[in-house]
Amino acid sequence: MTWQTRLRNAFTSQEGILFIITILAVLLISLQTDRFLTVNNLLSQARLMIEVALIALPMTYIIITGGIDLSVGSIFGLSAIVLGFVWQDGGWPLELAIILGIVVATVAGFINGAFIVWIGVPPLIMTLATLALYRGLALGISEARSASGFPSWFFEIGAGNTLGLPNQLWIFIIAAVFFGVVLSRTVFGRWIYAIGNNEVGARFAGVPVAWAKLTIYTLSGFMAGLAAWIFTARISTTRSDMGSGLELNVIAAVVLGGTSIFGGSGSIFGTVLGVVLIQILRNGLSLAGMKGDATIVAIGTILILSVLLNSFIQRRLSSRG
Amino acid sequence: MPPILELHGISKSFPGVQALSGVDFSLELGEVHALLGENGAGKSTLIKIISGVYQADQGQMLIDGQPYAFHNPREAQRAGVATIFQELILYPELTVAENIFMGHAPRSRYGLIDWRAMRQRAQELLASLEIYDMDVDSKVGAMSVGKRQRVEIAKALSHNARILIMDEPTAALTEADVERLFNIVRLLKQRGVSIIYISHRLEEIFMLADRVTVLRDGQHVATKAVRDTHESDLIQMMVGREIDDLFPKLPSQLGATVLRVRGVARHPLPRGVSLEVRAGEIVGLAGLVGSGRTELAHVLFGITTAQEGEIWLDGQRVQIKNPSQAMRLGIAYVPEDRGNQGLIKQMKVRENTSLAILRSIARSGFINHQAERDLADRFVRELSIRTPSIEQVVNKLSGGNQQKIVVSKWLASKPKLLIMDEPTRGVDVGAKSEIHRLISQLASEGMAILMISSELPEILGMSDRVLVMREGRIVAEFSRAEATQERVGAAMMGEVYRQPIPEKA
Repeated sequence: MTWQTRLRNAFTSQEGILFIITILAVLLISLQTDRFLTVNNLLSQARLMIEVALIALPMTYIIITGGIDLSVGSIFGLSAIVLGFVWQDGGWPLELAIILGIVVATVAGFINGAFIVWIGVPPLIMTLATLALYRGLALGISEARSASGFPSWFFEIGAGNTLGLPNQLWIFIIAAVFFGVVLSRTVFGRWIYAIGNNEVGARFAGVPVAWAKLTIYTLSGFMAGLAAWIFTARISTTRSDMGSGLELNVIAAVVLGGTSIFGGSGSIFGTVLGVVLIQILRNGLSLAGMKGDATIVAIGTILILSVLLNSFIQRRLSSRG
Repeated sequence: MPPILELHGISKSFPGVQALSGVDFSLELGEVHALLGENGAGKSTLIKIISGVYQADQGQMLIDGQPYAFHNPREAQRAGVATIFQELILYPELTVAENIFMGHAPRSRYGLIDWRAMRQRAQELLASLEIYDMDVDSKVGAMSVGKRQRVEIAKALSHNARILIMDEPTAALTEADVERLFNIVRLLKQRGVSIIYISHRLEEIFMLADRVTVLRDGQHVATKAVRDTHESDLIQMMVGREIDDLFPKLPSQLGATVLRVRGVARHPLPRGVSLEVRAGEIVGLAGLVGSGRTELAHVLFGITTAQEGEIWLDGQRVQIKNPSQAMRLGIAYVPEDRGNQGLIKQMKVRENTSLAILRSIARSGFINHQAERDLADRFVRELSIRTPSIEQVVNKLSGGNQQKIVVSKWLASKPKLLIMDEPTRGVDVGAKSEIHRLISQLASEGMAILMISSELPEILGMSDRVLVMREGRIVAEFSRAEATQERVGAAMMGEVYRQPIPEKA
């Protein structure tokens, strides 16, 4: 392959087009306002997007296998509530409370996976049910009270910096590289694509389909728990409605990033770009003076346009060969 | 009288492939015209152009001497062209009558569907095809493939089809259904319907067709009257070379017993099967569709598990719970349904070849990409798989080459026991012969092979020993010398012919 075709392929791939759109968005917004393209603003925006970004990583795996996890927002809320409750009401050491929050989230994800794999409940139905169930548990445990007054060391992960970058950004970078490498370089990653393209065929080729799916739904719960801990440390309180609607932001970012909702294709790089683009639009449009409601409408419109543009370009390319 | 259908210089290309170049074809009134060619020769493309699915890049189509160009299948239907594709397109939840008149049901005065007229006309249509054993009110979903196909034919006639295209109509039929299909074809011919008939089974062409057109690599090779040609002549035109022996079985040394099965059962099929396969031996498993052969293979490969009975491998009792475990035990299974079970069609040649053994070419989970490429390159070379590169998506390859990739995937796992389910179904003659050669070679290298096939010549030509399954049990066993078409066929049907168990919908 010559470098020209390499370059052409890079810029006409899903990710390449999204990358160009992202750059264009940055340029246009920074022409509108000079408060956007500043180090401080960008770093604080990075802090805001991390929770969605972390959960979007396993969601990418799940959507590539042809599944979906609608319960991540509720797992996120449940995990935060458990953390706050056992620390404030149960008197547990905060370190243990953090671990328990993540364990509960992981188990919640495992339960999703177990029903999907062993009972054969469709992912959409199962996670729609646990969307309600886990949220209900969070409400029941918290009894609509919030936890706050955490010691100052707790806020480090949500508000502190290391080497000039927000701590949670470091966590995300490590996680994104890990998820990206696993997907593109390992046996497990190949299995995920194989399952998404043809689950029966994968099974007939000896791919441990049940095990792989169970793993990714469990992983989804774990990452929701990790994100809940970081979020609690960022806003310094836990409430039972935390993370409601989060699943839609996550899924929007993954799909915008070029992962097919029908399964079989997608990448972690695309998902990262999707998350970044949505955050840039949200922040940029409000800085440019757009009102809150109008911002949401604008983001929705831009999402549709970019998905259309992408599929238009892909179709033109494939018809040209 | 001009031919009812004429094609002149039809060309069609797809990205990277010239599917047809300058093909001529003509169809006379009331003629059965067979279309023959290896997979990838352009037969499908040609019939899709005639039926309006594709549009030709170049060339002209005449119907009754008038130029026609169809932009979609509906226009072709209106002009009297109907196609019966391999995958039948019926609505399983609707009745026979509703399926036949889907989209053009007779209307009453008030614009509502006139159910009585519809049922009556459906009955008349079926009677005109001498089909008397079908209830127009029963749902299509529960019917056998043969019956559903008859519904499709009636549906085509309800559109007053004058040109009927049949794409491998016998591929999934039982012997009895094949016989009925032939009768229907002859009836239609008498009524002046012109039929384009595609089949890989040469003997059918000699039984049914008036003329035959052979395509090769998108080009028209010859059109001949069937009585002026013979089998080896056609094969040579299709593949462009002589094939002296379709079933080159090499002699092989039989070794120790590799697989021993005792009383294996799983509801509803199989119902207690015992058999043995020795190293170097090819055991042919014959039987009708629905006799439980595939279900047995699924139990042996861990797709489903045995409820009763014992499985021994190399003298060890084994429990096979899932395919990856079966694979570790040295069992490989080339499944019946290549598109859904055998391959991940959207993935590349390289990725399909390595899928079963990925773990063994990985270090701490990371795929060794060089080893993977070497593996794919080696099999493409050894099995002469015709593909532009190992990075080609397998969907774009012909049936024979796809099947070779399924076989590659399993040879890569170095199995002791290879189970092949219809190894040459939908595969062209050239690739078929190559696959037979390969199976024979593997056996002579000491592999134990259990081969399921619905083609008796394949069973008889390849097997050291033939087992016959009927209604979930092994009912007969023949040595290579004893096995004849009549004996095996009689064992398949049973002494008294009974309706075979319908295959699951």
